[in-house]
Amino acid sequence: MKSLTRHLPHYLSLLGILFFGALGFIVFSYDKAFQVAVSIAVAVSYVAWGVMHHKLHRDYDISIIIEYLAVAILGLSIVFSLIFRV
Amino acid sequence: MKIVSLLTHLFFPHESNNQKAKILHPSSLLVISIILLVFQVLLSLSSRSGVKILGYASNIPVEEVVRLTNEKRAESGLSSLEYNPTLSAAAKAKGEDMLAKDYWAHVSPDGIEPWKFFTDVGYAYRYAGENLARDFSNASSAVEAWMASPTHKDNILSSKYKEIGIAVVEGDMNGVDTTIIVQLFGTKISQVPEIQPVAENTSVQATPAAVAQVAEVPVVTSIPSPTAEPSTYLTGLTQGEEEEVPTSVLVSPFISTKSISLVVVGFLMVVFVVDAAMVSKRRIARVSGRSFAHISFLGMILAIILILRSGQIL
Repeated sequence: MKSLTRHLPHYLSLLGILFFGALGFIVFSYDKAFQVAVSIAVAVSYVAWGVMHHKLHRDYDISIIIEYLAVAILGLSIVFSLIFRV
Repeated sequence: MKIVSLLTHLFFPHESNNQKAKILHPSSLLVISIILLVFQVLLSLSSRSGVKILGYASNIPVEEVVRLTNEKRAESGLSSLEYNPTLSAAAKAKGEDMLAKDYWAHVSPDGIEPWKFFTDVGYAYRYAGENLARDFSNASSAVEAWMASPTHKDNILSSKYKEIGIAVVEGDMNGVDTTIIVQLFGTKISQVPEIQPVAENTSVQATPAAVAQVAEVPVVTSIPSPTAEPSTYLTGLTQGEEEEVPTSVLVSPFISTKSISLVVVGFLMVVFVVDAAMVSKRRIARVSGRSFAHISFLGMILAIILILRSGQIL
């Protein structure tokens, strides 16, 4: 919890990215290409957020970035499998 | 005992997994991604090889599509479209052609344009338009999807059209049971006093040349009032012949994918929360990403899974 409050601006920016990502899916519910673009943009932003956050926090390690990448890839796989199944 | 150790290793931070649930390790997450992708490939292969283990079918009443379309027009201050069985026959022919030739497009692979289906049934149009939808679970979501798309909305809210024809065709498309809604709009030559230039900005537009080739056919009947028997509406689909609309609901590839995705993401979020709580409680120092960030990201994925609906429009 301490970490959360200490890095509140970091987490708020992340939540903002994720919120607008989900919002994009609602607003452009008919536009498959836009949804694909939003998914990729949010996943890249999420990994970039991880890199910047840990750099600023001075605990950057390549294994951490691989973890963010793995979560992003899992998320993209799920979203793509649904977009192209619709 | 071994099972307990295995479960602890997989789902809880422990010495055996370097104080992080094994299922949350990047290697495990990538394995889960690969398994999900393999599942998708198997779904596609099974449908293409003719093994109909999965499919999609739904019961969408024709009159409901007409009612909702006219409701949208009324909200915009436009007059209601008159139901025309001849247009519905053209819509049915278009839907059946799509299923027979396995295509999902306004123009067939052999170059047949939508207008041919108008002229084939003898509908001499001045203006014509076509909206397509597939795999929607109900009429309302299909009409809402059309309204969310500017070009389809233009068709629905065009003042040029006087009549509407609808067909709900269910069948096999590329090995998957598919429900297609074909919505045709038209205005007959006789309904326009003088030749006027064809207006622009509809997603599918008739050409004057096509109009000149066909003969005018009068409207046979109009759609019954809402108090009429429901079966009357369905007969409009086949110009008088009552057709049994399929009511079977099979498991759709989309719903299967959605359900599995919900379970996987929900389960991972729970494991992340438990993992974070245990690490915080035990004051374990480890090199790891932020659990809050991962949970938030997966939360967004969960929201997207819930937002996405089955169905495509064209």
